[in-house]
Amino acid sequence: MEMVSTVQNTDVKQKDADRALVVAVTTRAVFDAAAGDVYGMGVAFPLLQKVNERLLEKNPAESLLFDVVLIATDSQQQSSRIISSTSHYGLEVGRFCFSSREDLVETLVVNNVQLFLSTDRDEALQVSQKGVLSALLGRQEAPSESLRVMLCGDAIVRPDCDPVPASRGAAQSFSARLGEMRGRFGVSGSPLSIVLVTSSGGSKSCGVALQTLRSRGLSVDEAYCLAGAPRGPILSLLRPHFLLGDGVIDLED
Amino acid sequence: MGRWRSPPTPTQKTQTSEYGRPNPKPENAVTIGVSARVLFNMETEQQIYERQGLEEYIKYQVEHETQPFTPGPAFSFVKALEAVNAQLRELYPESEELFDVVLMTNNHAYVGLRLINTINHHQLFIERFCMTGGNSPIGYLKAYHTNLYLSADPVKVREALEEGIAAATMFTPEKMAEVSESQLRVAFDGDAVLFSDESERIYKAHGLDKFFEHEKAHENKLLDHGPLKGFLEALGKLQKKFYGKGQRMECPIRTYLVTARSAASSGTRALKTLRSWGLEIDEALFMAGAPKGPMLEKIRPHIFFDDQMFHVEGAAEMGTVACHVPYGVAQGVTKREMNGRETSSAPK
Repeated sequence: MEMVSTVQNTDVKQKDADRALVVAVTTRAVFDAAAGDVYGMGVAFPLLQKVNERLLEKNPAESLLFDVVLIATDSQQQSSRIISSTSHYGLEVGRFCFSSREDLVETLVVNNVQLFLSTDRDEALQVSQKGVLSALLGRQEAPSESLRVMLCGDAIVRPDCDPVPASRGAAQSFSARLGEMRGRFGVSGSPLSIVLVTSSGGSKSCGVALQTLRSRGLSVDEAYCLAGAPRGPILSLLRPHFLLGDGVIDLED
Repeated sequence: MGRWRSPPTPTQKTQTSEYGRPNPKPENAVTIGVSARVLFNMETEQQIYERQGLEEYIKYQVEHETQPFTPGPAFSFVKALEAVNAQLRELYPESEELFDVVLMTNNHAYVGLRLINTINHHQLFIERFCMTGGNSPIGYLKAYHTNLYLSADPVKVREALEEGIAAATMFTPEKMAEVSESQLRVAFDGDAVLFSDESERIYKAHGLDKFFEHEKAHENKLLDHGPLKGFLEALGKLQKKFYGKGQRMECPIRTYLVTARSAASSGTRALKTLRSWGLEIDEALFMAGAPKGPMLEKIRPHIFFDDQMFHVEGAAEMGTVACHVPYGVAQGVTKREMNGRETSSAPK
């Protein structure tokens, strides 16, 4: 049985384990295996780093930062190549985890991962089903001023369905931490943007979602209430980097 | 491994609002996008924004979250749209050919709860909204198949017109005249609103008499269409639904043409053009250059569209909710000059 090995990235200052927001990303989301180039997540990665930079600017002793863990489950990818590419591109990765697909969830749990980002839908679903908050990364081509996180309001408003989605608790605590992070910045010029979308239900439902989020400490920047209108056209305008909701939602609707 | 999937998006048909009625699909409805500042009176807040900046504005809004705004100039128009919807639903319970009002604001979602509380307080049936947090709402107008966009911000209105969306800048009259609660009345200027500005160019270059002459000479030549033609068309489609049920005389939608053209000379060309487009207008008032204010005061439309600020102001002075369509030769500013100016970033 393959062992999971975790390697700390000595190029990067380690984050406070209790306070940091641990985000795990798969290597496949960051690197193109063949060319070894940074792609896909490559767009969101600098923005995650920018949030950290801006947080530290405001408070050099800030401990609520993104702590990025790079997870490799693909035995095809050489660990040395991953580490050297990370260094080459100056990616602020705190740890590398070399795991197998079977051990993925355990690896995430052991590393206290609060959000798992992937470009593989099945992988993200598998993780979500086991109670770890998971999201698909959007294909972002256009540059963005801020990291755009979209929240699906329907998941927030929906009365406890049967069965309650496994990652519901994880989603709630993550949004609270994210809210705390967002609160460090002012209304405009924030490197982090929170966007709420409710697909079904009318304006009252969206109001409930806004209030619920606020009670968790998360203030939203933009809000869209679709009341049944198709989500696709709006999603392509909103261009979120990832979308958090019940289960895993495709960004290309 | 289970094949657990995220919950499917509910089908459009089963989509219901809190009032238990389905929301029409955007492409079936006549979608009206209204900004927050025209739907509600936000003058106090606007002043705070202009004098003290965004953070103070947001703070004030949140502090007054449970205090509903009072109605703005678009309010009675929206109420009338809802009254028409109620009657359409009675006659055609399954149809999605209804008005759909979307709140289209570039306010931040921090102001969202106050806006939602206000919508509930006034019992408005607004179930769709976009609070873009400072970004331009223009892309969203297109995504919602918007048939008409009303805003207090002329910059956004111009942007919308450039994207082919009927749009107008709404002004608040000092005193708003009482309007019908059961019959929607919409009044349009002709040139550069329903029709292109081609004839208006003649008027601008050579004066009213020459304009009348030219129009008489060309009375059989169709005018090109203007930015609000599509909206009149949408209204006509809904009117025909009432006619189909024998409600022509008491139709809850009534349209008016209030034009500087004269019945004797230049009016014919306008009417012939409308007829060729298959469009009807219930009443055509040919002012022959006289002020429109008093006529509008008699008609009491919920909304009046004109391309000339002179007429918009004249109408507003007499209590009509008048909107400026910044299109055509009557605008004193070229497109290039507009782009050079500071674009308005005030929350709308």
